[in-house]
Order: sequence, then structure tokens, then C-alpha cells
Amino acid sequence: MAAAQAVPSSRRRFRSMEFVIGLLFAGTMTLAVLFSGFLFPDGGESMDLMARLVPPFTDPAHILGTDPLGRDVLARVVVGGRISLMVGVLSVLGAVVVGTLVGLVAGYYRGVAEVFLMRFADVQLALPFILLAIMFLAILGTGIDKIIFFMIVAQWVQYARLVRGSVLALRDREFILSARAIGVGNGRIIFHHILPNVLGPIVILMTLNVATNILLESSLTFLGLGVDPLIPSWGGMLADGRTYLQSAWWVSVFPGLAIMVTVLGLNLLGDWLRDLLDPLGQTNK
Amino acid sequence: MAGFILKRLLQAIFVILAVTLIVSFAIRLSGDPAIMLTGAGSVTEKDLENIRQALGLNRPFLVQYLEFLSGIARGDFGRSFMGGTPVSLLISKALPSTLLLAFASLAVSIAISVPLGVYAAVKRGKWPDQVIRVLSLVGLSFPNFWLAIMMVLFFSITLGLLPPSGMEGPESFIMPALTMAIILTATNVRLVRTSMLETLSQQYIMVARSKGLRDRVVLYKHALRNSAIPLVTYIGLQFGSLIGGIVIVERVFNWPGMGTLAFDAISARDYPVLQGSITVLALFIVLINLVVDIAYGLIDPRIRTE
Amino acid sequence: MRISRTFKALGLAAAVALAPLMASSAQAAGTVTVALAIDAGSWDPIDTFIVDWASVGNNIYDGLTSRGPDMKLKPGLATSWEFLDDNARIRFKLRENVKFHNGEPFNAAAVKFTFDRLLGEEGKKGPQQSNYNAIDRVEVVDDNTVDFVMKQPDPVLLTKLAGYGAMIVPPQYIKEKGDEYFNTHPVGTGPFKFVSYDPKVNITLEANADHWGGAPKIDKVVYRMIAEANTQVAELQAGRIDIATLVPFGLAPTIEKAQNLSLVSITGPTAVALRLNTKNGITKDVNVRKALIMGVDRDAIIKAVLLGHAKPIASFQSELSFGYDPSLKPVPFDLAKAKQMLQQAGVQPGAPLKIDFRGNDATFREVAQAAAGFFQALGLKPTVQPYESPVLLNDIIPNGKTGEAWHNSWGGWTFDYDNTAYLMYHSGEKWNPYDNDPKLNALLEKQRTVYDVKEREKILQEVGRYVADQAMEIPLYNQNTLYGVNKRLKNFDPPSDRRFRFTDVTVE
Repeated sequence: MAAAQAVPSSRRRFRSMEFVIGLLFAGTMTLAVLFSGFLFPDGGESMDLMARLVPPFTDPAHILGTDPLGRDVLARVVVGGRISLMVGVLSVLGAVVVGTLVGLVAGYYRGVAEVFLMRFADVQLALPFILLAIMFLAILGTGIDKIIFFMIVAQWVQYARLVRGSVLALRDREFILSARAIGVGNGRIIFHHILPNVLGPIVILMTLNVATNILLESSLTFLGLGVDPLIPSWGGMLADGRTYLQSAWWVSVFPGLAIMVTVLGLNLLGDWLRDLLDPLGQTNK
Repeated sequence: MAGFILKRLLQAIFVILAVTLIVSFAIRLSGDPAIMLTGAGSVTEKDLENIRQALGLNRPFLVQYLEFLSGIARGDFGRSFMGGTPVSLLISKALPSTLLLAFASLAVSIAISVPLGVYAAVKRGKWPDQVIRVLSLVGLSFPNFWLAIMMVLFFSITLGLLPPSGMEGPESFIMPALTMAIILTATNVRLVRTSMLETLSQQYIMVARSKGLRDRVVLYKHALRNSAIPLVTYIGLQFGSLIGGIVIVERVFNWPGMGTLAFDAISARDYPVLQGSITVLALFIVLINLVVDIAYGLIDPRIRTE
Repeated sequence: MRISRTFKALGLAAAVALAPLMASSAQAAGTVTVALAIDAGSWDPIDTFIVDWASVGNNIYDGLTSRGPDMKLKPGLATSWEFLDDNARIRFKLRENVKFHNGEPFNAAAVKFTFDRLLGEEGKKGPQQSNYNAIDRVEVVDDNTVDFVMKQPDPVLLTKLAGYGAMIVPPQYIKEKGDEYFNTHPVGTGPFKFVSYDPKVNITLEANADHWGGAPKIDKVVYRMIAEANTQVAELQAGRIDIATLVPFGLAPTIEKAQNLSLVSITGPTAVALRLNTKNGITKDVNVRKALIMGVDRDAIIKAVLLGHAKPIASFQSELSFGYDPSLKPVPFDLAKAKQMLQQAGVQPGAPLKIDFRGNDATFREVAQAAAGFFQALGLKPTVQPYESPVLLNDIIPNGKTGEAWHNSWGGWTFDYDNTAYLMYHSGEKWNPYDNDPKLNALLEKQRTVYDVKEREKILQEVGRYVADQAMEIPLYNQNTLYGVNKRLKNFDPPSDRRFRFTDVTVE
């Protein structure tokens, strides 16, 4: 029974296993999505009411079959990744920028900014997330921009707390103190000395949150608050296909697999990054 | 220490006040319950005005909000706009259902993740560790509504084993709790594994081993007990996100809980029910965080100064 | 029934050992279980408008008139009626020897109490009063005769007396127990008596053997609240409910295929249209609107998306509706001509067309996309925007914030085109955010004062033709009501408006 001290070579191999599978899954899906315009110039929108619900692997023109409106499932699965990845990536980028800035300021200067941040975070943690989303989208109306905006509002606090915590741990460390002693400005200290040191945990959280947000988009669609159903999206296909699970499984199983492969890939990469960058486990999520 | 507890208590009260204010305000922006109540009928503005009057909605927001607050202080959450049932009655029926489901989910998740996490830690770096970690992440990679529907199709329709929805006997807990648990398990396996690895590398475990205690005894009696503290803390904190995520699972399984109550209240713009249910949920989350915080403060004095 | 109780008494462990887990609480002989999407919250007739209320209320209460599955008006608690004083007074003869479930006698005083309550302060708080505002007061003539004195004529009054707010309630009981208690412990004269109510979970009724219409043949009706369509159908497949009321068209084949189930598809009152924005965008031009109507292949949509469970319509009403004009035919699909008309109207290719719809309507989600497909074929750039229903109904439509087209699905429980047309086309109405057409206003106002059936029908048909001529909407289809029903139910003849009555139903 090998306990604490594992053989280094097997550890490395294990890490690279996670990395390889993660990269393979997330990478393949991302590439397919990026080239979807080239692969499927019609954007998966061509409709043929006479060829609805063609089963998969029966018609070479529709390898993965067609949906209830006679649209090609393969094309929609590939093109559908655009919305899902866009929502996932943009929302996370937005949250990172806002959250990191606030976290840096709060952690470095402390004072009012910090009190405000911490109380705001408390309030947000006490509000049930999905209910907040429904109310929010009810007031603003639905749309990709609003869904992204909402995710930013809901998630920036995570980054802010994370960054603040790291800054608190760093601000009294030797190298910061000496930088300050030789007259380095606050802005420079924050961006040149502190920020690089908190990057690791942020990247991990980002990877995991892209995955979370892809799933979230599909949940919102399930509740009827998703984006324009004409534009293919994994969440939308999954939610709409649920009525057909018993009669035409392929309509929702393939987008489901696409989500799973992508999200699993991202989660594996996130996990791998965590082992690499954050062995102390600050980013338990 | 008393100062620390007082400070945390004041913060908790602030959070609750902020939550009530946000919810009361936001829901009032999102639509007129009088129109919801009359549906698609042939109503005139005067009819609507009458209904608003009866519901007390034509008074200033601040008056309505303060009335809601003073109601809470008296334990009175008002009455549902739909049918006039006291909100406290609706909550007293829904809250136990949700809490039971939440506890069941946590229990299932712990039952799955502790052995898996321990095993993964023991087999660190070997293939069982890899398989466990990858598999636990697979559970995290499905939207939960989809997982729930698939389970219903398999267990209820194909096999005819479990009831597809509702809360009746113990058997109706299986699928909803499993759906929630699968999502929690990914995190918990990781947590157990990490803290086990930490404990296993500590001196006294080595000593215990060198004394020739059997591995299993060492693992479960010594190591696991010491990993339990961070685990329990984290699970306490998980409770909040668990309740948030429960909305969708409750909907698919038609679970008569707080998520269903609040969701229906949003759809009907039933202000009192929504305000009441979200406030109670928030109270729960804040309370658990408070307890965890204070417990931590007792264990680790450094946190108090933060 | 008794057997099942014994099972429960034996405890769950025994039930588990004896039967598959899910059968433990399945229906006993003589019980019908119905799934409803929404819990009305109060079972008082004046508190609600929700269809799901009526699925229950129609078994607890009786109205003065009643309406069967064939949608024909029949005597209810009134055995006959006559119009007096130039229609300003309607005299009802009441059924004798009828008792409420609590033993209280039904008589003229109960009718007066019911309507005083509906039209007075208590009714003001709810949504039902506005349906009955044409009534001035009810006068007791003798114990078994009442007069309705009208403020203004209401041609559909007799229909309205068969539904919702006009259900007769027990005066003594309400006075003694109070309105609040009555909300959750309803008492009426109907074929089933209230037993228990668990909010958001279920409501249970039992047979009223003394009902004037004959004793029901089953012992019990249980209504379970299940909001998700998939869950309703799963429960139906598992044999735990007998009737699913929420059946999206996509699930129809699943029910049809199941051996123990049957799909009931009946012509109902629900009409579905894409209303058009006559004020802004390309739809401002009547010729463009006509081209759009012509460019959508509604037969194809009915066949492919609705699987044939719908009929094409030419105006915003079903053929069951009073005012339906059989001579008005739907505009036939002609893509080439529609394209040409758009060109002549000067519409640029790629012109935007936005369709707003209720995001939670699974069936219309597909219809909207199919319609958008046809608009795309016309060279337009369609988008479809899902909304949460309250937002669409409260804000987007009434405040004129819609796109070029919006989804409107209309039940019309009075089966009278007036109930649709007035609200849709008269200026100032909530459902008419854009138009103010004096000619249409005049027609709509006029028919409300006419009692002569033929004359009124003629005016309503004229309204239908005028609206079609102005192309104010794309009339899509008259949608069937779908139920999933367990085959063990016999003699179940469901009405299309979900107002079931389970008197004659038997179970195997």
C-alpha cells in the first residue's frame, strides 16, 4: 500500500494523463467549434419539415440524424458549441477582470473597499443562485448578453475573495515590504509583484467556471429563459430534446455528450492545473 | 471571543436585511401580480386597481417593505396572493421537504465519496486513483435536469422500480438525492483525498504504522477522523450552494420543497411567498455559515482577527 | 380501496416486500388520479381564473347552468329560465331538494348570497368579478325562483353562469367559518365532496352519493400538482396517475405507443396566432403582412410539428366559437407569390423580423422556429425571442414592446368570438397595443348591445373578415387539447376545456 510518498515518475505520468485526456477532449471540441463555420456554412439552421427525426447512422447526409424540425443534429451540435463556449468564456473573463480588480484593491488597501466587498459577498452567498437568475432575467429579459452579464454579476465575488485572500497573505511578505521600502509605487507593486503570484489559483477557478457556466446556460434554457432557439446551443438542444428522449433519443443525447466531453475536458484540465499550481488547495471548489 | 461572535451576528443581521431588501425590491420591478391574478381575462384598469388595493400594493414601497420586516419579527410572513394561504404555513410544509432532501443528498454523497476518497488517497498515483478522480468529474459534467430525466426513464419507466416524482415514502428520495449527490461527490472525493493525503503524511500515522497496526485500522480510526474536521466544515458551507441547486431537481421530481415554492412564486409574482421563502432560505444559509465561522473562530484564533 | 389501506397499515417494509416499490401508493379500485400543472391555492370560485381550478371546481360545485363535454349549455342548478323586460331581467327556476355537502339547503337565498358576494367587496379582491359586471343584482322571487337584473346586456351571460365565479356557494357555511377557511375547505353542491388539501401537493375529493345528477361511480378523485410535462407523462407511464393534462405535442407519440395508455386529442377552443405589429417595422405595411401570412405553410407546421393535432384557421378563433365564419378560408401557402409581394412592397432582403413568445411553451417553441424557417425562405432575417410568461403578458405586449410578431394563444372559455375579438382589436385593450381602428371599434361595441343571436353572429363574422382583410395577425391553427389517459378509465368523455366531471367515469 503506497501512501504519502508516491513514486515521482508515476505522479508525473498521472498528471500528464489528466492533462492529455483533458486537452484532447476540450481541445477537440474547441477546434471543431472554431471551424464550425467552415464545416457547416449554413450554421445548422437549414430546416426540412419533411425530414424530421431521421434516426442517426441511417442517412449519410445526416450522420447523427435530424431534430424535430428536420435540422441536421451533427451540424447543430458542432455549431451549438459556439454559444456555449462563448457564454462560458466571456462570462468568466468578465468575472475575472472585475473580481481581480476589486480583490486586489480590497486586499491591498483594505478599509471601506474591503468591508464593502466582504459584506456584498456574504449577501450574494445567501441568495439562492437560480432563483436570483430567474428574477434577474425576468426583469431584464433574456438574451446572450444578459445571461453573460448575470453570470459575471453572480461570479465575480468568487475571484474577488480568492484574490483578496492571496493578497492578504502576500502584502506583509518580505519582498513586498522591501519593494515598498525602496519607493516602488502601489500600482506597480500590485501589478508587478502581487498579481503574478495570485495568477495560479485564478486560472484554476476560471477553467472550472467555464465548465460550470456551460452547464448553467443549459439549466436556464431548461427553465425557459435561454437564448434564441434558432441559434443552436447545447443547452437549448438538450432542453428542447427532453420531450423526445423516449421517441428520438439522438436529439438530446448528442448535445449532451458534447457538453459532457467539453466540460469533462475542462474539469480535467482544471484539476491538473490545480495540482500543478496550487498544491495547497486554496481553490477548493 | 464575545466581541467576535457579536460582530459576526451583526454581520449576519445585515446580510438578512440586505437579502430581504433586494428580493422585495427586485420582485416589484418584475411585474404586476394583479395582472397575473386576472390572467387573460377582460379586466379594466379599475378592476386591477381594486385587486391591488386588496393586496395592499398601491402603498409606497417603503411602507410595504417595513410591514414585511415587522411581520418577520413577529413570525408572520403574510399571506399568499394566490388563495390567501399564510406563507408561514406553506414554508412550514416545504422547508422540511427541502431539508430532508438536502440531508439525504449530503448523506449519499458522503457515503460515496469517503470510501472513494480514502481509496484514491491510498492508491495515490495508481490507476484506481486516476479512475476515481476522472469518474467523479464525469458526474459534474452533466446538467442536472438531464441526469434527472435520464434516471427517471431508466429506473421508473424501463425498470419500473422507483416512483418518477413526488415525496411519498423513502423510495421517492432515491433519485432526487442521487442526482444532487453526484454533483457534490466530485468535490467531496477530492476533499477527502487531499485531507487524507495530508494526514497520512503526518508523524503519528507513520508511528501507528510502524507499530504494526493494520492498515485499515490506521486509515479509518486515525487518519479519517482527523480529516473529518475540514470535511464537515466544507460540507456546512456546501449547504448553501446545495439549496440553490435544488430548485431544478425539485422541479423535475415535483418535490414539494422550498425551490418549488419559490419558483412558483416568481412565476405568479406572488410577492409574500417569494419574499418569505427566500428570506428563510437565506436565514438558513447565513445561520450555517455563522455556526461554521464561530466554530472555526473557537478552534483557530487567528481567524478572529481577520 | 380497503385493501390498500391495510397495505399502508402494514407499513412500508411489507409493501416493499409484496410489490414493486412504486405500486405502494398506486390507485386503489375506484380512485381516479389526475395531474394538474398549477395549484390554484384557493378553492373559492371567486378567487381565481386558472383552468386547473376548474378541473377541480367543476366537480365540487354546480352553476345555475352547466356545460357538458359537447360544449352545449344545459340546465344546472336552474331547471329553466326566461328573459323578461326586454332582456333586462332573467328569471331562473331553481332545482328543488338540492343540498350542499354540509347539509345546508340550496335555495334562492344561496343564489343571492353567491352573487352578492361575487359582485360585492369580497369579489372585488379577486379576478372573477369583472366577468360578471353586467349583472346589477339578484332578487329573490320565492324560495325556488330568482331574478337576475341586468345593468347592461351580456349575450354570453348564460355561458358565464356555467363557469368559475358563478358557482353557487353555501351561505351559512361561509358566514360561520369565514372566507379564509372556505378557501381551503370548499363546500358546494357538486358530485364530489372535498376531503383534504395539501398545498402544492394534492387535493382529494370523494363521491357525493346524493348528487341531483346521480351518484358518481367512483369513490374518489385525487388531483396531484405536477408542473413539468415530462414528469406528468412519466407518472402516467408508471401507472401512478390516470390523466395527464399537460401533454406537449412532442410527447404525444410516446403516449400513443404505450400499451396501457391512450392519447385523447379533441378539438378545443384554443386558437394560436402570430399577432403582428401594425405600428413599427416591416409589418406596418398591410401588403407585407399579407405576404407573411401567405409565406407560412401552416399545413406543413400542423402536420410536422403538431402531428396533425390541430386545424388551420382563418381568424383568431376555433370552429366551436360563436361568430365562426365557415366561408372564411385560410390564405393558401404560396412562397413565390409571397416573395413577389414583399419585393413589391419594397422590403429589402435580410430585413429583420422578431418573434416574441412564451419561453415555457415547449410546443410553440418549435412552431416559432418552423415559422421563422419560412420567413427565412422569404429572404427575411428572423429571430425568435423567448420570454418568461409574466413578462410577455405584463410588459412586452401591453406596453407595445414586441417585435414584428408575437405569440398569442387564446383559450376563450366562453366559446364566443366577442371574448377574443373585443380584447384583441378594440383600442385601449391590454392585448391591443398598436391599433386604433374606428371601424373595428364601432363593430365591436355594437355587437355587445345586440341580443338577437343571428344579428350578433353576423356582426362578429364581419369583424373576423375585416381583421383578415387588414391582415392584423397570422392565424396559425386551432390546437387540439391533448390528454394522456390510462386505459383503465372507462366512460371518460373529457371536455376540451379541462373542466372534467367524473360522475359517469368507472375504473377497472
